[in-house]
Amino acid sequence: MKHVLKIMALLVAISAFWIGLLETSVVPRSYTWLLAIYLIVSLGCYGLLMVGIGLMLFPTCPQEAVLLQKDIAEAKEFLKNKGVDVGSD
Amino acid sequence: MELADKAVGFLLSAISLSIFTYYTLWIIILPFVESDHFIHRYFLPQEYAILIPVFAGVALLSFLSMFVGYVMLKSKKKSA
Repeated sequence: MKHVLKIMALLVAISAFWIGLLETSVVPRSYTWLLAIYLIVSLGCYGLLMVGIGLMLFPTCPQEAVLLQKDIAEAKEFLKNKGVDVGSD
Repeated sequence: MELADKAVGFLLSAISLSIFTYYTLWIIILPFVESDHFIHRYFLPQEYAILIPVFAGVALLSFLSMFVGYVMLKSKKKSA
């Protein structure tokens, strides 16, 4: 099934759940739109927070970076000796 | 460059937390506070609590669809 159909099915399920909650008076009627928008805004906020926390806790591995640069220099030397054009130096 | 990444991450999480607390205070707590309290001066009237997110969401969706349409048109013109 195409991915967009799955997304639309998820949206329909969520709105059906919300309308079901309204009909059985778990949620008061006059606050329909306000609570729905509040939930959507808080979901967006949560996503943004997770992105920010992931950025802050990202591991950088400085030793691996040094080793990688050494590997790149070694590979460039090897290829230049074999006659391959290695571009900017 | 990891300090720049950490700074951006911290800024993003700070913005998201402040938006969340402001919005929660606005919608959930403010209706239970008497209208004489001074805190009401820091918050706009409640109609804006619906208008601003809806307006921002509509703006975001239209920007996204315009971007997608622009990219599709450009790729079609290049292949033609």
